[in-house]
Amino acid sequence: MSCPPASILGIGAVTPVGRDLSTIAERISGPIEPAEILRVSDDLLADPTSSRGLRRADRFVRMAAIAAIDSFANADFKGSMERVGLIVTSGFGPHGRGFKFLDGILDCGDAEALPTDFSHSVHGAAASYIAGLLDLRGPSLSTTDFLFGFEQAIVLAQCWLAERTCERVIVGAVEELGKVLIECAPRLLPAGKTFPLGEGAVFFALGPESAGGIAKIDASAQAAAAELVIVDEPMIFAKPLPQAKSARTFSPYFGHTASNSAFQALGGLLSFSNARLLGSPVSTRPSPLPSPGVPGEGVIDTALTFRTSCDSSASILITKTRRYQ
Amino acid sequence: MKRSPVWIAGLGVVSAAGGNVRQTLASFAEGIANPSPRLPFESGISCPTFQVRDELPALPGRYNQSRSLRLAMKALREAMEEAGISRFYGETRIGVAIGTTVASQLNNIPFYDAYRRNLNPPLDPVLDYLSANLAHAVGDILGITGPRLTIVNACSSGTDALGAAKHWLDTGLCDVAIAGGADELNRVAIAGFWSLGVTSAQPCAPFDRDRAGLNLGEGAGILILESDSHLRRRGAKSAFQLAGFGAACDAHHLTAPHPEGRGLNAAINEALAQAGVSPNQVSFINAHGTATADNDRAEGKVLERVFGPAVQFISTKGYTGHTLGAAGGLEAGFTLLGLREKWIPRSAGFANNADDIPIAPVNRRTDISGEYAMSTSLAFGGNNSAVLIRRVT
Repeated sequence: MSCPPASILGIGAVTPVGRDLSTIAERISGPIEPAEILRVSDDLLADPTSSRGLRRADRFVRMAAIAAIDSFANADFKGSMERVGLIVTSGFGPHGRGFKFLDGILDCGDAEALPTDFSHSVHGAAASYIAGLLDLRGPSLSTTDFLFGFEQAIVLAQCWLAERTCERVIVGAVEELGKVLIECAPRLLPAGKTFPLGEGAVFFALGPESAGGIAKIDASAQAAAAELVIVDEPMIFAKPLPQAKSARTFSPYFGHTASNSAFQALGGLLSFSNARLLGSPVSTRPSPLPSPGVPGEGVIDTALTFRTSCDSSASILITKTRRYQ
Repeated sequence: MKRSPVWIAGLGVVSAAGGNVRQTLASFAEGIANPSPRLPFESGISCPTFQVRDELPALPGRYNQSRSLRLAMKALREAMEEAGISRFYGETRIGVAIGTTVASQLNNIPFYDAYRRNLNPPLDPVLDYLSANLAHAVGDILGITGPRLTIVNACSSGTDALGAAKHWLDTGLCDVAIAGGADELNRVAIAGFWSLGVTSAQPCAPFDRDRAGLNLGEGAGILILESDSHLRRRGAKSAFQLAGFGAACDAHHLTAPHPEGRGLNAAINEALAQAGVSPNQVSFINAHGTATADNDRAEGKVLERVFGPAVQFISTKGYTGHTLGAAGGLEAGFTLLGLREKWIPRSAGFANNADDIPIAPVNRRTDISGEYAMSTSLAFGGNNSAVLIRRVT
């Protein structure tokens, strides 16, 4: 048994290739210069609130809050804010601020570190800002996972909507590139392996299946067939890829994060509105997929993110309900 | 929405109050708090803490480096034993939802100190941290592959983990869910709460006139939740249900609760409504009761408003300290034990009624009767959650 799919009513994203969805779509359809680090431009992180509600917020919180606010602005919700839930997932959380708090301990002593660094170093800081800025008074949850956090967040959002705990759920992922992560990550990879590290935030405003919207999203079922499968690359093909007409990845544009699936899902959604597939074709070895470029492959109605570790996998199925305007 | 019952098939607890249910009840019966006057590590801070002194299970490989994970596994083993489950069999319909705070952060000061000094430190602390995502690690250790959520909602994490697991069961995604919270004492968390000015240099005194802040503690509380059909299918029985869950955000402040407890009020009402229960059917409340000025004032107002001036409630933090991500799991367990044993302990640390709180916790061992009891949690970020537990007679 699985939950009914949710409807995607709004999208918000802050990525290394932009914040405006049409700009992102354009950037992920063309070639990109290989890079080791893909960061979000500071220009995208200006406080969008008239109340200067982000004046104390750091980079982690700003990325999350801006993407969440953008997603909810598109959702056109007029109901009670007590019926709007929030789920924020992150692998590494606000680790930049966490290390800043450790700087305070090391430089000034345990009793003298700054309280604002501590309060912003906890995983829930982003959700707290988002709830405050949007006056969200339904359930608010922060989760952490290095692999499948976004998939699990979508599943729980589907549960909340199916049970009518919420009428809307803002669900998203945020990852920040801090200096410790940048320096440690290459040392954790096998010799000779490299991939670009990324950061950013992707949020969706979800409603129940009946709410219409741009697309339906379902992470509660096992990997199903789709026209487009979206994978991390390079990835360990520990499990066979689901059958699909085409395979793409968006990792070269967004970089790799613990919440990769959120960015891959964004790429899939933006592909719905284009006559040709976005992203970078994937070498599908050893899975037997048709080679990219088959006739008609640009028009797709279903996309499946697929992420795998050595012993498990998770997927998100996105189904187009109408074309973007 | 009509829901099938969610049964509580097993409970395991470990905290400074005891390494299992039996020891915990003995501590509660004595009514004596036993904080340690010293921290278990070097620090420039001096304050009482509540430490677990029991032997913890040895775990394979890097898992053994996480004290939070070892605390969780100790409580889980007790819960599995009570549930009559000796092992799981690789099923995909068994979920794991565990709340934590410390295990979600790379708070390794020696590693970071060496990193800052360009000493190129070994990455073992990073690898240990990557291995210690609690829900994933528990799932991997048990060999189960259902949904996994590590919830980092600060002090309400354990309660919210129970709520997430209940949602999985209510919607049919799982047959069984392992849920609760686990957290270890950590130098960084102690410095953090000290920096906020909410740590007491004396043993904590929840809801008391002279309350001066919290004491941190460590522990784990794990519940095994099971669908009605699965419990029947394996021929097991339970007398307790997770009857209701509610969560709501204050949308007010990063660290302080809403002064009128807006979100907590909504969370309690949601949990009651989900079970179709009125406030006068609730026999007692295990309150969050951290002993900070703001928490206890806001929570006291809400409990009086919802349940009336004669409400019976306790804070068990005088026995365990504030165990952060573990608190919700532990206190849901203590709530179940109150219903089971038909008594609740005195609120350790409480002595004098507070002028700013309209009600007072029980200050002696108190017999209780009734079918329902509630546990509440408030947290950083304005999160509030409540679980309603039912004893089926």
